[in-house]
Amino acid sequence: MQPEVEREAVRMSKSGDARSYEPLVRAYEGPGLRLAVDMLGSVDEATDALQDAFIKVWESLHRFDITRPFGPWFFQILRNQCRDVIRSRQSRERHEVRDEQIEVRPAGSLSNPARIHERTEASAILWRALNRIADEHREILVLKELQGFRYSEIADILGIPEGTVASRLYHARDGLREALVSMNAEYP
Amino acid sequence: MTEHMSHESLMRYLDGEAAPEERARIDALVAESTELQRDLVLFRSMKNDLQSMTFGLARDRSVWGTVHRRITRPLGWILLSVGFLTWILYGSYLYIVSAIDAWEKLATSAIGLGILLLLGTVIYERRKEWLTDPYRNVYR
Repeated sequence: MQPEVEREAVRMSKSGDARSYEPLVRAYEGPGLRLAVDMLGSVDEATDALQDAFIKVWESLHRFDITRPFGPWFFQILRNQCRDVIRSRQSRERHEVRDEQIEVRPAGSLSNPARIHERTEASAILWRALNRIADEHREILVLKELQGFRYSEIADILGIPEGTVASRLYHARDGLREALVSMNAEYP
Repeated sequence: MTEHMSHESLMRYLDGEAAPEERARIDALVAESTELQRDLVLFRSMKNDLQSMTFGLARDRSVWGTVHRRITRPLGWILLSVGFLTWILYGSYLYIVSAIDAWEKLATSAIGLGILLLLGTVIYERRKEWLTDPYRNVYR
């Protein structure tokens, strides 16, 4: 969505026009679902969290500064929503609720079957290792690698300085390395 | 990590966020250290695999329908309540000023009040039950 179009849709939505909110929802539901699935590991929970986040965004639009980009603000609310879901799972083990049915596979146009199999295995190992690291580490890896945000955008979403983004990314990657070692996984 | 390079610098270098002069300095450090080279190979591999990871997510259904229902529902409730209350008040006024016998008014009022009291009690009990339900956050 073009920034001007997005700003206009936000402005109209802010004035209470629900129809103008539709293009914003449709533009952000794909990346939003992806982020929620990455954080929660369950498609059903991710869909619920996504819907709740869109409702919260709608209810908070009157406080939104229209000169700021909408994306980071939306992802910040979605991320908080996902964290609430994670907190509400207190009595359950995270691994129990993570959706084993999610099919993880490498993207792109690999043509060699052996290579495809190898990368699919590597992706599946990494997905399992991601489930073993701390929530805040998984969250920052998801924002950086799976969502492709730059440091400045991650800093905006998480409300931390860019230096902390770099430092937390190091600890997240190091944690992922340790998780792979503890799984005795052959990686890369 | 070496004395000359922090974790933060290594991450900026890996993620293409380092300034050109910082990048050149780290290039030189990496060329001299096999430990750094090994770390970078692993981190790059993780990075590439994570970036190329996709999920078999069905995207054939938008959440807009549900979101739209939920954001427009409060307005529906407000309109329904205001309209209902207006009719109740107007109906009560007409009933009070009508020429029927007092005992008829009292009997009808008792029925109306009884229904309201029963409804209020049921709502109160359901709410109390919901507040103490340990499974209310469990998705069914």
